[in-house]
Amino acid sequence: MSSENKQETRPDMIACENVDKWFGDFQALKGVTATIAEQEVVVVLGPSGSGKSTWIRCINRLEAHQRGTIVVDGVELTNDLRNIEKIRSEVGMVFQQFNLFPHLTVLDNVTLAPKWVRKMPKADAEIKAKELLEMVGIPEQASKFPGQLSGGQQQRVAIARALAMEPKIMLFDEPTSALDPEMIKEVLDVMKDLALGGMTMMVVTHEMGFAREVADRIIFMESGEIVEVGTPEHFFTDPTEDRTKLFLSQIL
Amino acid sequence: MSITAEESTSNYHHQKPPFYRDAIVVKWLFQIGALALVIFALWFLSSQARDNLTARNISTGFDFLSVDPGINLSEGIDTRPSTGGRALWVGMVNTIRLATAGIFFATLLGLIVGLARLSNNWLVKKVGAIFVETLRNIPLLVQILLYGAILANLGDLEFDSGWDNWVIWSNKGVSIPRVFIADGFYQWAVFMILGAIAARYAYNQRSKLHDETGQDTFPWLWSSGVLGVFALIGWFIHPIFSWVGSIFGAISDGISKIPEEILQIALSIAAIAIAGRWIQNFLQSRRTPGGAARLNDDDKFRIIFAGVGAAISILVIFVVWPGLTSWMINSSSDLFSVLENKFGNGRTGGPFGVDRPEVIKPGKFEKYGPSGLTMSIGFAAVFFGVVLYTAAFIAEIVRGGILAVPKGQIEAANSLGMKRSTALRTVILPQALRVMMPPLGNQYLNLTKNTSLAIAVGFSDLVQVGQTVGNQTGKNLSVFAIWMLFYLACSLTISVAVNFFNVRLKIVER
Repeated sequence: MSSENKQETRPDMIACENVDKWFGDFQALKGVTATIAEQEVVVVLGPSGSGKSTWIRCINRLEAHQRGTIVVDGVELTNDLRNIEKIRSEVGMVFQQFNLFPHLTVLDNVTLAPKWVRKMPKADAEIKAKELLEMVGIPEQASKFPGQLSGGQQQRVAIARALAMEPKIMLFDEPTSALDPEMIKEVLDVMKDLALGGMTMMVVTHEMGFAREVADRIIFMESGEIVEVGTPEHFFTDPTEDRTKLFLSQIL
Repeated sequence: MSITAEESTSNYHHQKPPFYRDAIVVKWLFQIGALALVIFALWFLSSQARDNLTARNISTGFDFLSVDPGINLSEGIDTRPSTGGRALWVGMVNTIRLATAGIFFATLLGLIVGLARLSNNWLVKKVGAIFVETLRNIPLLVQILLYGAILANLGDLEFDSGWDNWVIWSNKGVSIPRVFIADGFYQWAVFMILGAIAARYAYNQRSKLHDETGQDTFPWLWSSGVLGVFALIGWFIHPIFSWVGSIFGAISDGISKIPEEILQIALSIAAIAIAGRWIQNFLQSRRTPGGAARLNDDDKFRIIFAGVGAAISILVIFVVWPGLTSWMINSSSDLFSVLENKFGNGRTGGPFGVDRPEVIKPGKFEKYGPSGLTMSIGFAAVFFGVVLYTAAFIAEIVRGGILAVPKGQIEAANSLGMKRSTALRTVILPQALRVMMPPLGNQYLNLTKNTSLAIAVGFSDLVQVGQTVGNQTGKNLSVFAIWMLFYLACSLTISVAVNFFNVRLKIVER
């Protein structure tokens, strides 16, 4: 994964420029400017409350930014509902709390959006869903309900559900933070496979091992600002900014 | 039993505890003691009541049900009932009418107001909030009296009140055209049954097509269309089904020829089979992976109870009520001959007819004729009272149910690119309904019981009629018993219906 080459040759999938976001008087994002290229894996690090989740949620408009521009795959995010729906169906998202639909079986969770949004025939959607469940390693759980699965299994179903829409970009919002330690690995393994398969990924996480191993670039945020951007080697061994050094000294 | 088994394997010397410390003996003693206490309390209360009633010359009994009470009712299926039972029946029908219409409209209005309160539109939201906060904080009785007073201020009934004898309104009530079942209805109903089968087929076909192609195929639209076509065709050519009557006639004749003994034996076998089947299923459900079923005392009691039930049924069939089988034969034979008549005898008219309301003037006072469907001021007052009052509560239940769906569910649906309407239908409503059903059932129960406030505006519901009948006959106690049984039956029916939906909506957890 030679990130330098990628950045130069591949087109931008996500381009944010001077993005500002307020919650009432509190400014959550301050002039965030960054681009993510096709097939690139970017990990966003930072202390809690630094705006990582807010930023990633702005990219598929779960939160609306107030100033600046966000362009996803050539489509600018505005109040235009058609753009929002188009971008959302191309951007998959995995949440900290899984957010599976508890009233539907695992299979129905995965096939729901392909059937109703992509208008995919039921049989095709189910074949695809079974392939994806195979990929995330839980084909035998298809007819169970989310409440009957472990946290790690639920999060893998959530990944399969997002992938069923055949997204061009996957956003991960702290996907392992609600999991027991022994289940974190099974989810990270699935994410690694995805990265190796060439998916464009933006991951908010506290898993330093994953960041070091999989990321092409690391973006470090604090107080709603991007403090430092760089390769994992640069970030973990030779960071430029004092604030980055302070953060690393606290967690490593 | 298990205690002794465990203790025999231990090295300690086994000593049988004294009976007052033996858990099983104590448990049974308590059961028997509690039962004795209940029986004694019932016996004591009833004998006291009987003595007091005789001392005060209050008579009980249900003879009045078949005696002419000599009363007129203000409205209902029969305004001059010939027996006490018929009078109470008219009251029950009025109550059921009020409750059914009330439940339907309260649900509709509550849904609209509840959704309005969740709206992003400031004005709509405030109107919803004012509706709820006003109506649920005024006592229902006050509201009913208020609506009654307002409606009583409508104009006097004249020959030209209202609109061309289609809708007439005045301070005597509102009258609208009455739609009634006419001669051809039963022949047309055959068309509708066939139409329902065809509509179901169309629905399945269109759903299958949706599954195969993923396109919107509108199965509901198609099936209602098919049903509509059948209804329309049937309207004109339904007399072709007049021969169906002869089938019912043949069934009727066939049933009347069944010998009593055969039915008795068949019923006995059925009772034994049902009990046996139940016990079998019960044992199956108690079976552990190890194989043998371990039964506790309750389980044994249930099995004995099932056996006793079968025995009692057989006893009833042969000894207690030997006329039961002949009654069953006669009444089902009668039922089919009634159906035969509904088809035959030159019934060639349309399936439905419409009677427009009319104003008649038999003496000094104008009044509505019997032809239209008239909603009296009393009915309207109670109806608006229970609908508005209950709708306010239902609105809060709807709002609460939708807010109870975690925000993450909506975000997940959004992040998958679902439209608002798709997310509402496939993700939010199925989960909100689960939260809404139990309290909604409570509101339906409340509404049904609240219709008894009709007495305040003189609407002839069961309570009002019962009170009149009780006063006329002096059998107030018997009337009380009928009231309680009726409302109990209504409540249980609603509970069963609500529970049915609860079970279907339940979410599977670990």
